[in-house]
Amino acid sequence: MAATTIRNLSGFSLSWLLVVAGGFALLRLMPGDPVIIFLDASGLGADGAVLERMRAAWGLDAPLFVQFLDWLARFISGDWGISYATGRPVLPEIAGRLPWSVTIGAGGLGLAVIVGFRLGFAAAARPGGVADRLSRLLAIGAQALPAFAVGFVLLWLLAIEFRLVRPLSGGVAERLFLPILLVALFSIGSVARVTRVAFCEIRDRPYFTTALAKGCSRRVALWRQGRRHAALTLLAVIMPEAAWIIGGTAIAEIVFSLPGLSEYVVRAVAARDYAVLQAFIAIVALWLLLVQRAAALARRSLDPRLADQLEWRDA
Amino acid sequence: MIRFSAVLLRSDIVKAALAASLLAVTTLHAPDAKAQAAEDAPLRVGKTFIAAATDPAQGSAGWALVSHGIADQLFRVDRDGRLVGNLATDATRIDDLTWQVTLAPDRLFSDGSPVTAQAVADSLNRTVAENPAARASAGALTFEAQSESLLTITSERPTPVMPSILAEWAFPVYLYAGGDLHFTGPFMIADFTPGARLDLKPNPHYPQADSRNPVQITRVADGQALALALRAGEIDLAFHLPVESRAMLQASGDIAVTSFPVEYQYMMWMNTASDALGDARVRRAIDLAIDREALIAAARAGRVAHGAFSQVFPFSADEPARHDAQAAAALLDEAGWIRDGDGPRMRDGETLSLTLVAYPQRPDLVTYQPVIRAALADLGIEVTTRITESPTDMARAGEFDLFLWAQHTAPAGDPGFFLLLFLGSEGANNYSGWSSAAFDALLADLAQTSDPQARNLIAREAQALIAEEAPVAFLVTPEWHVGKSARLAEYEPWGSDYYVIRSDFGLRE
Repeated sequence: MAATTIRNLSGFSLSWLLVVAGGFALLRLMPGDPVIIFLDASGLGADGAVLERMRAAWGLDAPLFVQFLDWLARFISGDWGISYATGRPVLPEIAGRLPWSVTIGAGGLGLAVIVGFRLGFAAAARPGGVADRLSRLLAIGAQALPAFAVGFVLLWLLAIEFRLVRPLSGGVAERLFLPILLVALFSIGSVARVTRVAFCEIRDRPYFTTALAKGCSRRVALWRQGRRHAALTLLAVIMPEAAWIIGGTAIAEIVFSLPGLSEYVVRAVAARDYAVLQAFIAIVALWLLLVQRAAALARRSLDPRLADQLEWRDA
Repeated sequence: MIRFSAVLLRSDIVKAALAASLLAVTTLHAPDAKAQAAEDAPLRVGKTFIAAATDPAQGSAGWALVSHGIADQLFRVDRDGRLVGNLATDATRIDDLTWQVTLAPDRLFSDGSPVTAQAVADSLNRTVAENPAARASAGALTFEAQSESLLTITSERPTPVMPSILAEWAFPVYLYAGGDLHFTGPFMIADFTPGARLDLKPNPHYPQADSRNPVQITRVADGQALALALRAGEIDLAFHLPVESRAMLQASGDIAVTSFPVEYQYMMWMNTASDALGDARVRRAIDLAIDREALIAAARAGRVAHGAFSQVFPFSADEPARHDAQAAAALLDEAGWIRDGDGPRMRDGETLSLTLVAYPQRPDLVTYQPVIRAALADLGIEVTTRITESPTDMARAGEFDLFLWAQHTAPAGDPGFFLLLFLGSEGANNYSGWSSAAFDALLADLAQTSDPQARNLIAREAQALIAEEAPVAFLVTPEWHVGKSARLAEYEPWGSDYYVIRSDFGLRE
């Protein structure tokens, strides 16, 4: 038991370290010098000596390996560095913004799962019906329409035409409503289609026929016999999406002016703000690994037959 | 008497009468109270940029603090582009490295304490030590109080324009007391969410404090979202709107949109290291071939550039950039680039073909690309357009023939910064690779001249020389657009985004 736990934790840590080191190297390969970008954006002139001095002040003059080890030691001890662009410590900045992004991402995905699952079931229960057509429309719309444009249409309709929400000056719930709706709108279609397929698969199974023979209606039999299978299928599909809850909501944050993490990272990329980007990669890597483990555990609890296939298992 | 009153009060008629009177009084006063409340309500500002920090020693916080009306510098640039005293009255050059600055009398920090030379020295020494941006222009500066109102400044490198350096955004003055920061601007911070929202209240120690409303600044990252927020009535001022939102806002009737020229210049570097562009006649031909009015029409905003500097500045060139396609063709003929019919221009079997680069961070420049390509194609010059996400890297590497560029050419109200850094032979940002002994001699003059009028004359001479040699074509002075509700109808923007909220912001009679 203890040996397995240690082995699992070691694998987990090593995976995280490899992703973080790879991210560190990739960031440095991006074209653009953060010092020059900062000075350009600030309207300050500087000669070579000033550039060198600023690079030294930002710790960019040391060899790359030394920079990485220094960053890693500080990151683990809770010092995540100072943002080049804002001059503020990165940790409190990320901590302040993370709840907005997580709420939008998790709220949007949660809403999409609740609505999409019901819609997918209704589509499977009556192929070719309204729900089926609606789910197809939403799925195609999510692929074809730019999220930015849909966000502005929502803003126009609900904030200006009908004056139902105040996305800029309202309370927290009012400000979160439209971003969550936007994120959900772009996932409901795919969730519904996946759910529909999973429910439809059940119709060929003998236990479905048995349920019908026992006198259940098609709809009730489909729900009772298929919901577990549909949930399992959906779980496998939405887990990668859940991984993007951190950092994947930039459009919603920008369109609806929310101070989330994703929007912060977009700006950090433009400024080549390594301090912010490196910390972001580290927490996203951690989150991805945790989501992967959580997904495995969730799949096992829904279908114990999968237990043997899981990496993260008890001794 | 008491008993009589009690009886009266119990009477339904009297109760009804009292209630009616109360209602009447309330109704009569309600509109006044409502109007008063509306008048006292905070002014709501939407901007695409907001302070990320409140300490000038951190990043570019100094810029935001001045722009938001919280902090002042010793000197500033006024609406006519002149460098004027703010917390200081004047500056005198003692020797190459030393200046003496006299503080303005009766200025107070927001906690009520006086602005003394010692307080100024303490704050600016701290900023210089902690913020590398404060050491960019003249190296490290050392501030020393000589008396209550007299300050000595020693610079690491000589500078003839210390007031201009002190007007840079890195140098707001503050009182640093026990970890708290107190500034001198017309507003002070009431509440702050870094990078998202800033609530300001009038600074009680600034003149006319009672005539100012509180201000709420909200960061709206996207220009279209900013326009929609103004249209929805969620903000009173939308600063820096996209040009395409102008018509929609003006059509709403109760919103005014003001366009104003900014201190940035759109220009096009010409790489003098390339074979064709090494010849000044080719560069001048390209400069003459570009119709600036066509660029303005394409981007739907801007004014024809007058030399290197926005017309706001007293050192701007007098004449606008010229457009003369015939003269351009003649210059190319003279340079040996001959055109046969409608074909491309050629010399010694080589086609005159150039690469024109722009970057998406300035969308107007990308809009200009096809217009310039068409103008040069009419002249027989083949142009390939390219977009880069890393303009500075590409410009420094010299991987271009023509490079569209946006630059604030006088961020601290002095022409020396741009001319020296971007066009001097040894300039760190001399992207065109141009080298002119005559121009360098003018820069040497500029380095020795402190008098503003004399500097303006030298700057104009320098611009005439640039026009003759054309290492760069100055194209357009861009315009920004500001949307205003009726509450801020009197607001006039100026100074780009350096001075958005000023002492006259929403000032009541």
